[in-house]
Amino acid sequence: MAAVESKQAQQVFIRPDGKEKVTGVGRYTADLNLTGQVHAKFRYADHTHARITRIDASKARALAGVFAVLTHADVPEVRYGGMVQDRLMFAKDAVRFEGDIIAGVAALTPEIAAQAAALVEVDYEPLPAITDYESAMAPGAQLIHSDWESYGAEDMGRDGNVLGHSTVIRGDADAAMATADAVVSGRYVADASQGAPIEPRAIIAQWQGDKVTVWTSTQVPFAARTGVATVLELPESHVRVVVPLLGGGFGSKCDFHFEGHVAALARAARRPVKLVFSRHEEFIAPDHRREGMAVELETGVRKDGTIVARRARLVIDGGAYCGEGGFFAQMAAMHAIGPYQMENVSIDSYLVYSNNQPSSSIRAPTAPQACWAVEQHMDEVAAAIGMDPVELRRRTLIERGKASATGQIMDEIGIRETLEAAAEMIGYGQDLPDDEAIGVACGWWPSFGVNSGAYVKLNGDGSGTIITGAMESGTGAVMGLPILAAEVLGMKPEDFSILYQDTDAGPWDMGSSGSQTTFNNGRAVICAATEVREQLLDMAEKELEASRGDLEIADGVVRVIGSPDKSISIADLAGSGTPLLGKGSGDVPEAGPSDIASHCIGDLGLTAFLAPQLITHAAHVKVDRDTGVVRVLRFAAAHDSGKIVNRIGADGQVYGGVMMGIGQALTEGTTFDSEGRQINPHLLDYKLMTASDGPEIMIHWEEVVTPNAGPKGSKGVGEPPSVPTSGAVGNAIAAVIGRHVNQLPMTAERVWATSQENGQ
Amino acid sequence: MKHPITLNVNGTPYSVDVATAQSLLYAVRDQLGLTGSKEGCDDSECGACMMLVDGRPTNSCSYLAVQADGAEITTVEGLGEGDELSPLQQVFLEEGGVQCGFCTPGMLIAATALLQANPSPTAEEIRIGVSGNLCRCTGYDGIVRAVLRVSREGASV
Repeated sequence: MAAVESKQAQQVFIRPDGKEKVTGVGRYTADLNLTGQVHAKFRYADHTHARITRIDASKARALAGVFAVLTHADVPEVRYGGMVQDRLMFAKDAVRFEGDIIAGVAALTPEIAAQAAALVEVDYEPLPAITDYESAMAPGAQLIHSDWESYGAEDMGRDGNVLGHSTVIRGDADAAMATADAVVSGRYVADASQGAPIEPRAIIAQWQGDKVTVWTSTQVPFAARTGVATVLELPESHVRVVVPLLGGGFGSKCDFHFEGHVAALARAARRPVKLVFSRHEEFIAPDHRREGMAVELETGVRKDGTIVARRARLVIDGGAYCGEGGFFAQMAAMHAIGPYQMENVSIDSYLVYSNNQPSSSIRAPTAPQACWAVEQHMDEVAAAIGMDPVELRRRTLIERGKASATGQIMDEIGIRETLEAAAEMIGYGQDLPDDEAIGVACGWWPSFGVNSGAYVKLNGDGSGTIITGAMESGTGAVMGLPILAAEVLGMKPEDFSILYQDTDAGPWDMGSSGSQTTFNNGRAVICAATEVREQLLDMAEKELEASRGDLEIADGVVRVIGSPDKSISIADLAGSGTPLLGKGSGDVPEAGPSDIASHCIGDLGLTAFLAPQLITHAAHVKVDRDTGVVRVLRFAAAHDSGKIVNRIGADGQVYGGVMMGIGQALTEGTTFDSEGRQINPHLLDYKLMTASDGPEIMIHWEEVVTPNAGPKGSKGVGEPPSVPTSGAVGNAIAAVIGRHVNQLPMTAERVWATSQENGQ
Repeated sequence: MKHPITLNVNGTPYSVDVATAQSLLYAVRDQLGLTGSKEGCDDSECGACMMLVDGRPTNSCSYLAVQADGAEITTVEGLGEGDELSPLQQVFLEEGGVQCGFCTPGMLIAATALLQANPSPTAEEIRIGVSGNLCRCTGYDGIVRAVLRVSREGASV
């Protein structure tokens, strides 16, 4: 069993941005200041749901030191949003959550800007607020968007407060359920949670003539550019987005957020404008948090463990606006099935509006909550037929070459191997004290194939520069790109510099999202480097008077195979002045078909998973029965993410993702008051795991070299480490207290209360 | 009201005038231009702003600049020797203790203080020693390994 290898056995890879990060000289957006800059503050909604009857900014504008105050009346009325265009930059007729923005102010100091923002007068007619999102679907419920039918949107089953409705139906679940030896049902409810990067976001905008440059802490510079261009009605060529170092995101900095507001303020103020969020704002204002979810499951099983049918109904809290979370209903439906073989499924999944903070992608959106529900449910199914939970999974996980529950043939997958590896690493089956137990959970997550671009050029001294549209959020994915270019060009990774995070420099890329950077931009870099390789070989053919087939590139030279003295260095070729520049994107891989997409409601193309990443997690926990406090003592993470390209980077994703997953399992929950205001928007009550909470984490990579995937047979890496984590912890807790905790996070109070229900 | 004070930062004395309510963090970031120390919460919850004040790890966001008058202050910019990384800085990189890097300045300060107080900490002691510093990326594993390695290899901090 390959657990963590010793350091000597690994390729020690020092990230190129490392030195500036450990010395403190690296600049993040909030570290930048421009001559003449003034400071921005927002006036947020005073109600979570209300009609706006009057906005008067005259007193704010009259305050000394104020350069600009903007409301909806001062910017184009452009609705924006991912799959549903339901949001305006500044609220006009209504506010729908506590982070809706009424006005933006630019002033000499942040303090004056805050004072002016408070002077904006707003009159409201309050409306009933819906914070219990399941009630948003009730007949006659107050509409969150009364004019929802007028919005631009994709066909996703919208109806009033239902923002999206997806079904996944295969076989005949009703008929099959009747043939089961046991039918198990359960209901699980997950609270919302947060990406919570340690860097609160910051944005600076500066106009030069009719063009604007925006420095911003975004994960998706090209989407931010498109957003600014859209809401300010500018050509994209007039908007340049630059991302200095980014202090983490975890999804929360995906999508277009506040860049348009700051650009508009800078234009009106005729000054560079800087916005820096407080931690409180970082919690309440972004339309990006992990969605609350209610999951009802019913599974029919035979005594031999065969799952004959699964029914599920999911309701997902979309919050006040769609953001980029429009695909959540279908994605959650896929996780209500999981990586198991079953012929009959009937899943109904609803994404609904509420007056809570909008939901959008946070690391593996919808998966951790749905997987937590399903994997605890699977343990209950096992109990119902008296089977060991690992044995049930052993019998029902998708076998290599067999079909998933949506009819997609899974050729090269290692899910069963991850189960065995995780069970072995954690020591499944060992005798433990009665307040300790081991829980196991499995999950899956797709890779995302999209276009992506890069240039590779060689400099006159033979060094190289990678110019990429890809975004480095901290994962190391962009930092690892030189490994791929160097291999193609017979050079060393440290021979390359990287120009990145500037929309005027690199080609379009989706950004640091969907675990896609190595998968797609790695392919682009290899493609671009291959073009340069061909250019080098063209030149060397002439210089060495050799035929193409006799040449090789290695160790910084082009040489004739078998004649080491007949060679020319890459530096000599590059120094000739001939441009050596390659561009690349490569062919985007696509998922094999499912056999049900055509008859699913709200199909957005997710019923088949491209290059699925497969995971088994196993948690060894200790529960204090008197207090309900849970401590994870040891943790085993076994992943099939295909071939691993950069081990230190991949390991880092698992260590970080598992800790984020344990936080989501035990302490991380955003709670709302009866009107949808966050009760705990700060890091004392929204508890991230600290180092002292952390268990020993063991990692196994099941390196299934995957066809139709990323470079070298790789898949994505970044999101799966948080997917089955809370399910594994939940199953371990249940094994100690004798009952499953059906609310997430599984806080000490909830664990204790659940154990009392059981009479223990 | 402004107060004339002296901040000795990374061995250099700076004479500055600061407002009563000015935090040490923003005196160092805005007035001295040393932006390595970060604001993650402004509330002593995350540790990204941590500096050594007379050798003690201190959340500089919640410490007034006037309190630091005359004190010896070390920020992340003062950990290396010229262009040479300190052993901790180097090993943080080798062990995967750095991803986005936003917590790194405070984390390095916390780890430096820990090793100065306890040159041979156990893994458990390291985890407790840096538990005032939140990291969302690394899961702390690479950080703990890095501190252990520096202590075992006996490098001066």
